[in-house]
Amino acid sequence: MITFRDLQIHFDSFHAVKDLNLRIEEGEFFTFLGPSGCGKTTILRSLAGFIAPSGGSILLKNRDITHVPIEHRGIGMVFQNYALFPTMNVYENIAFGMRVNKAGKAEIDREVRDIARKVDLQEEQLFKKVSELSGGQQQRVAIARALVLKPSILALDEPLSNLDAKLRVQLRHELKQLQQQFGITTIYVTHDQEEALTLSNRIAVFNSGNLEQVGTPQEIYNHSRTEFVCNFIGDINRIEPEMIAGSRLREKVDPGRAAYIRNEKVSMHPLPGVDAVQLRGTVIEREFYGLYSKYVLRMAAGGLLKTIEQESGQAPRRVGEEAWVYMRTGDIMQF
Amino acid sequence: MYAQTWKGRFRTVHPAALVLYGLIAWFIAAFLIYPNLNIYYQIFFKDGVFSLEAVEKLLSSGRAMRSLYNSFLLAVSLVVTVNAVGITLVLFTEYFAIKGAKLLRFGYYTTLIYSGVVLVSGYKFVYGENGFVTKLLAGWFPKMDTSWFHGYGAVLFVMTFACTSNHVLFLGNAMRKIDYQTIEAARNMGASTFYIFRRVVLPVLKPTLFALTILIFLTGLAATSAPLILGGVEFQTITPMILTFSKSMTSRDLAALLALILGLATLILLTVMIRLERGGHFMSVSKVKSELVKQRIASRLGNAVAHTLAYGLFLIYMIPVVLIVVFSFTDAHSIATATLRPGSFTLDNYALVFSSMTAFKPYLVSIAYAAAASVAVVALALAASRILHKYKNKWATALEYALLIPWMLPATLIAIGLIVTFNEPRAILGNLVLTGTVWMLLIGYVIVHIPFTLRMVKASFFSLDPNLEDAARSLGARTFYTFRKVLLPIILPSTMAVLALNFNNTLADYDLTVFLYHPLYQPLGIVIKNSTDAQALADTRALTLVYSVILMVMSAITLYFVYGKSRKG
Repeated sequence: MITFRDLQIHFDSFHAVKDLNLRIEEGEFFTFLGPSGCGKTTILRSLAGFIAPSGGSILLKNRDITHVPIEHRGIGMVFQNYALFPTMNVYENIAFGMRVNKAGKAEIDREVRDIARKVDLQEEQLFKKVSELSGGQQQRVAIARALVLKPSILALDEPLSNLDAKLRVQLRHELKQLQQQFGITTIYVTHDQEEALTLSNRIAVFNSGNLEQVGTPQEIYNHSRTEFVCNFIGDINRIEPEMIAGSRLREKVDPGRAAYIRNEKVSMHPLPGVDAVQLRGTVIEREFYGLYSKYVLRMAAGGLLKTIEQESGQAPRRVGEEAWVYMRTGDIMQF
Repeated sequence: MYAQTWKGRFRTVHPAALVLYGLIAWFIAAFLIYPNLNIYYQIFFKDGVFSLEAVEKLLSSGRAMRSLYNSFLLAVSLVVTVNAVGITLVLFTEYFAIKGAKLLRFGYYTTLIYSGVVLVSGYKFVYGENGFVTKLLAGWFPKMDTSWFHGYGAVLFVMTFACTSNHVLFLGNAMRKIDYQTIEAARNMGASTFYIFRRVVLPVLKPTLFALTILIFLTGLAATSAPLILGGVEFQTITPMILTFSKSMTSRDLAALLALILGLATLILLTVMIRLERGGHFMSVSKVKSELVKQRIASRLGNAVAHTLAYGLFLIYMIPVVLIVVFSFTDAHSIATATLRPGSFTLDNYALVFSSMTAFKPYLVSIAYAAAASVAVVALALAASRILHKYKNKWATALEYALLIPWMLPATLIAIGLIVTFNEPRAILGNLVLTGTVWMLLIGYVIVHIPFTLRMVKASFFSLDPNLEDAARSLGARTFYTFRKVLLPIILPSTMAVLALNFNNTLADYDLTVFLYHPLYQPLGIVIKNSTDAQALADTRALTLVYSVILMVMSAITLYFVYGKSRKG
């Protein structure tokens, strides 16, 4: 549905986006993920028409929209801080785009009330100032304002980044429900891996203007294709060469390449399977998180390993206690 | 649209916007650049040939040289006296625990609503030869010279108390922003109240004090109404001298040269101020700031001296205001003799102002000028700010610098520039002659208010969330629609506040008005100044008192709506 073909964006000598080739399918919840300055917002803004690409093209349903004016692209945008017009009430904010497009009064009223109902905004909230709404309600107004024009794509630029942790989780859930309800192709920009993993059908991970990997959340998490993706997503252990050299790992793992394993793939209980190996270490740190505890062990062969253990009511491991850890060589990612 | 070319950008600009850009460029060229360049030509070229005749004339004119000396003497003296009084006021209202600080603040803040020619004429009314206080003093000391209140001393006295407004506003604000924890930390280490003030508080205030000092110096240098009304023959400064010289065609070059000297001094000092502003601010590193708690003066004697001084200053500020208000309700005889009798109170003066067209005319003229100028300057600042907000290129930078030219020039230089330039047909104005017309003063008012208005309106524009404009565009709104429906409603309250302040400042202006006004349409500032002349009729003086009271009320209302309401909110 959306195709970025050899897209390049330069700001003077700075290359913000380098030769991007990417296809996003209709109805997908697609996330651009990466650290600050990786180019994800720049790509979204070029898709919306706010930034003109320096090279390449953007196709929407096979139509080249690279040079189409913003208002003719049919892309609804939700901004990081929602950009609700503070001098207008909720109704006027939602109706703004329709008024600009000279829709009739009756049509505007019908559509505004309809979309407000769909995004779960109460009738009495329609005539409130936007500053009187909660963060969640403001997000719904921003989405309603974008959706009332019936865009083919909804673009969201870090809409949850200014909110506190609890509200983020709640709104994330609402956002997913709305996307499923409308079935609209959604492009979501975030630097938060948890948001990306929980919301998306597919994720594109960016780093310094380069596309590192595209895949489903499971692919990105379990089969990271680059060392950057592997490190950026989730908490991970780097397996030091001395650890490989001093254990049975050396039979399966190349000590000349960087090796990583996710914390939860390291266990303090024996693992079945032919590729399981065991390593000896000493607990040097324990952090209690409620549902689980995180342990850091100094390995006898050298290096540190982190592991997490579900809280089962048994006595926790003590700092200074010797312990065996187990892992499967198949879970190790090498780059 | 980073990758867009110039041609592309030009094509996307609306034709109406192009006309607007053209008008702004013309205004800048015709009124901000041309007159200020022409002034050099008028001084240094006679019949198209370079000449230093004006410089020779200046050097050989004893009066002119004396006025230069007097201006610098006044400026230096004011730096000392205004800082001494200003800092004292701020300490008494914001730093030390003085009983009745709220009442004191009320008195010290009177200069905010009562300034310029109104204040000077008020002081003359109170301390002049027939003034209330002079008569009171003469009753106690019969041998006293009743015409004591003139010359250097009188000008310095009046200007000292007239120029503390910036201290109570800006220094007071800087004082309130001091993090109290730094004071507590110093006390915790054993520092005394005055040691803390000297080593912890004062250094934080230093940048503000430097900036205020330069402003005081400039005010002293360009002083107009105080030396004109109170200076007498023995103490005339540059601006009154420029005014005298500008009235004769043969000495206009001298007026222009004096104005230029004033301009150069202003330019140099403002450059120093900008440097200080850039480098001298202290950023608080406190994570959580705590509010300043007023310091008790431990010494009993010190406390008594502070309270006496605080209330003494309060009286100096309040006496002229109170007497002007009281005497505005008395008959002409009481005003002329500065005596109060039970039977002398009347509302006739007020009735006359609002019933006689002749009496009301100065108001009408001032209101018309102030309204037209403030609306025009706000419209110009809105258009310019929009350009500065939208475009970030060398043209936008040039536009901003050009519009800030009047900030670097004293009003006198601007006025003389306009007079010497537009007293003959000029092609840039379609060969119109402006000198002697009613338009001159309006243009002058607009020019002098551009820098302040632009800075304020631009600040409002730049505080706007850039996403709002993007959001409106993504919803299909065009540039002008976005400006009208989204941006303007947000910046309108602050823009209206600037408009109100400009209106207020223009209403009783004297310093610029005296150069540019039309004799048939005399604004309030001129009428008020004329009433201080010895030959002014008692009835005229009575009307002036009413004008002054109404101006104070209007200023107070404006300031309440601009500052008071927002502070409460």
